[in-house]
Amino acid sequence: MNETLRNIKTRRVVREMSEEPVEREQIETILEAARWAPSGGNLRPNRYIVIKAAETRRLLRLVAPGMFQRAPVLILICTNWQVVEAHGLTARDRALLIDIGTAAQNIMLATHALGLAAGPVTSYSKEAVRIILNLPAHYSPEMFICIGHKAASARQGMRAWQKITWRDLTHWERF
Amino acid sequence: MQADWVLKEDEAIELLALLITSARIQMDEPAHYGPLRLLTAVERLSSLIEARSSQKSRGFLQDNIERIPDMHMLMSDVEAYTEGLDALCRAVAGCLLRHSALEDEA
Repeated sequence: MNETLRNIKTRRVVREMSEEPVEREQIETILEAARWAPSGGNLRPNRYIVIKAAETRRLLRLVAPGMFQRAPVLILICTNWQVVEAHGLTARDRALLIDIGTAAQNIMLATHALGLAAGPVTSYSKEAVRIILNLPAHYSPEMFICIGHKAASARQGMRAWQKITWRDLTHWERF
Repeated sequence: MQADWVLKEDEAIELLALLITSARIQMDEPAHYGPLRLLTAVERLSSLIEARSSQKSRGFLQDNIERIPDMHMLMSDVEAYTEGLDALCRAVAGCLLRHSALEDEA
């Protein structure tokens, strides 16, 4: 199978990570992959905050009930509203959500390609995160990606709600 | 009574943070995430108090709370998830009895 396709099919969300550190060079490779994600109008309103400091990660985890991982690295995808407003877009523009999604997927695929584990987290208090990271007013925290090494004791992922193939998701031509 | 305390102030504040932020994010999440968030708080509280807990509680904490992450994996199976929650309720009721005078009367 093609290496890219294999990477896509074998990537999994990892919720349990070890304390093993991630190299700075690996983080930079992941961030470059994020930079190459497609962006509506090529505006690139996303900004990335990398958090490695243990105490900051601990505090963030306390306001992020969905962050089950104790990951050595957190990448926070933010929207820079100065960029958005400079191009006349509003918060209702769906391209902004799509940009977050494409960046997140590139980050997770790059992480997997490097032999590391990744898990996205969206269940957190934006206001609490804003305070802990001292975010500027024009940044909104959109999604954390936890990066690390899969714990040896990690459980299997959540059981699927139903078996799905691409055929179940696809309709050909006209309705 | 201080010797009986099983939770430090910092730890209690951590748990408060989890509960408060869980309440907020629940406004945006599916209703079935509610049990998940409550059980996450249970796990955190258990991990904080286990080392200082009495024999009456320790067995309950060790035998039951550690199973919670496995329960999360069953969320898509409502029947199994509900049975897991029922089992947890039975276990905590047993723990309550061990802490109660009722147990001594039996």
